[in-house]
Amino acid sequence: MNSSRFAGFLLVLPALTVIGVMFIYPLSYSFVDAFIVPAKDGGAAQFSLQNFATALSLYGDDILFTIVIVGISACLIALGSILIGGYLTLGENRFFVRVLAALYRWPLFIPFIVAAQCMRTFLAKNGLMNGVLVEAGILTPLQTIGFLDWRGIIITFVWKQLPFVTLLVAGAMAALDRSTIDAGRDVGAGRLRILFQIIVPQIMPTLIVALVLSIVIMMSVLSVPVMISGHSPTMITVEMAFRVNSYNDYGTANALGVISYCITGAIAWVYLRRGVKQGGKPV
Amino acid sequence: MKLTTFSVAGVMALAFVSSAQAETVLTVATAGSQNMADYVTDFLAPKFHETHPDVTIRVIGTGPGDAGSNAIVERLEAQKGANAASDIDVAVVHQKAVGGMVSSDLLEKYTAKADTAKLVSSDAAKNALGVNVEGYVLPMFQSQTAFAYNPDLVANPPKSYDELVGWAKENPKAFGYNGIRNGMSGVSFVAGWMYAFTGEESQMVNGPFKESLVGDAKWNGAMAGLKSFNENVTFTPGNAGTLDMLNRGEIAVGPVWVDMFYSWQADGRLNPNVKLLLPKPGMPGQPMYYVVPAKSEHQDLAVEFIELATSPEIQAKGIVEKFNWYPGIDAKYLEGHLDQAAWDKLFTDIKPEELSERAKAFPIAPYFNAMLTSYEKNVE
Repeated sequence: MNSSRFAGFLLVLPALTVIGVMFIYPLSYSFVDAFIVPAKDGGAAQFSLQNFATALSLYGDDILFTIVIVGISACLIALGSILIGGYLTLGENRFFVRVLAALYRWPLFIPFIVAAQCMRTFLAKNGLMNGVLVEAGILTPLQTIGFLDWRGIIITFVWKQLPFVTLLVAGAMAALDRSTIDAGRDVGAGRLRILFQIIVPQIMPTLIVALVLSIVIMMSVLSVPVMISGHSPTMITVEMAFRVNSYNDYGTANALGVISYCITGAIAWVYLRRGVKQGGKPV
Repeated sequence: MKLTTFSVAGVMALAFVSSAQAETVLTVATAGSQNMADYVTDFLAPKFHETHPDVTIRVIGTGPGDAGSNAIVERLEAQKGANAASDIDVAVVHQKAVGGMVSSDLLEKYTAKADTAKLVSSDAAKNALGVNVEGYVLPMFQSQTAFAYNPDLVANPPKSYDELVGWAKENPKAFGYNGIRNGMSGVSFVAGWMYAFTGEESQMVNGPFKESLVGDAKWNGAMAGLKSFNENVTFTPGNAGTLDMLNRGEIAVGPVWVDMFYSWQADGRLNPNVKLLLPKPGMPGQPMYYVVPAKSEHQDLAVEFIELATSPEIQAKGIVEKFNWYPGIDAKYLEGHLDQAAWDKLFTDIKPEELSERAKAFPIAPYFNAMLTSYEKNVE
């Protein structure tokens, strides 16, 4: 018994060491650094909330902006994934169901930075999208507007994260007991009603897990906001990079990092609480 | 048969021994965009290899902007802290980083050993944003920002910052720049703005730093002017983003790096009609520097490498002809090495006398940071 425990410990040791050295140590280091101001004129470095004061006074707008952008993106992703998953589960035209099932995953395999670069030329005022609309006679050149601002960031996030959430949601929907759906149909419920009143409540835990993971990913992306719109207000990650690159100011960058952790931490807490309420098993 | 095997083995052994001898590796780390790493890998390294066949050049690109230089600084600092030899033998860094590198003793004072040091006449070799760096650096090239404009959209572009303010009101959203977070062409535009509207260029460039200038009436007036100016401009996503938007006709005028402009035009990536002008009273440019880390183990070789890189022939063929930068050494030494057409091309839109009158330096570091912070607080 003891020796097998020891063997088990040995097995997890490499993974644990990697997490400790590559993640926990730098994380703690950054966390502590956020609360320290460097030595001035030979004095010792000391504990201070100065970095947070700088972060909040200069980048308060950006923190709000980040929450709003990620929030809107998450809502659109949720809606999109429910609709796509719903069609895959309830769709009657087998051809379209197959085409959609094959197509929706593609953005999963495209890195954020590539997506951002594509969107930069696609969404610009005289970019590919407006070019096609003008050629098709839907818009005149004067009516076109560019989306290289907060809208571009949301569009890229939704485009990139929708397949990931849909993959999980559609899987959960496919695994549902179809008798509940058939029962709904028997009593004459329409497809939308079945989707939102029967299917969605049952896959809610999966949807929330997928959204929490997506939100954490979107919070951490630098390339998309930098490449689509780096002007203020912008996302926290851009300001962190700016503090480090322009001022060599790791303190404020770390303070912004801690704020970012707090936001994702709050979301994770909501998710865990939900799990506890449902019987102590977060799914 | 046996003899053949034996001789093959012998040849292999010889090859092995000679390759073992060829293992002197000179590591060159360069900040800047991909073109910087390309320049060292594709152009300089093969030339150096011709005269030093036993040396292999390893090139590391550390990325664009200040971040790229900071990556080199942090590595050298870490190695100094650990009292270890440096694994970088030659570094190419931006002007903003080099002052700190000199004052924290990360660099070797090498230029007395380099024969080409006497070819350098520019002030930038002595003074980097207010820090005395004489002896520690040789400029690789000088780069410059300017306005690029599309003559198809604007026949009479604004030729000074003053004209630009009125022009932007009449042509809303036709001027585009990239703010201060997204590449140095935008930062340079803001620095030029401060020079033009505070009238304190010489104070900001030469120092010493006076806290009283930051936030005084002139300073705040210039920032307030920039804030209302910003209402009429388009924000572009980065240095390349400004060129992209010019190309697609989304903006008519925007600040760009001159070398990037010419390279894009030479590659056919930019509308050939787009032209450059250097507005009055001027805009900043900056050199990139060759430096040798104090703890490099191949310092003599590093100096030889830099001598090659700053020789008139390489400066003419590589820096000017191939990459469209202004030379780091005095231009008069390039005569005879340079194709006249290549030289003329560099000065088609911006004449040499305009360049000497309006090419400015960036502000010294404390004003530089104060300017960025004021922009964040008062303009955005």
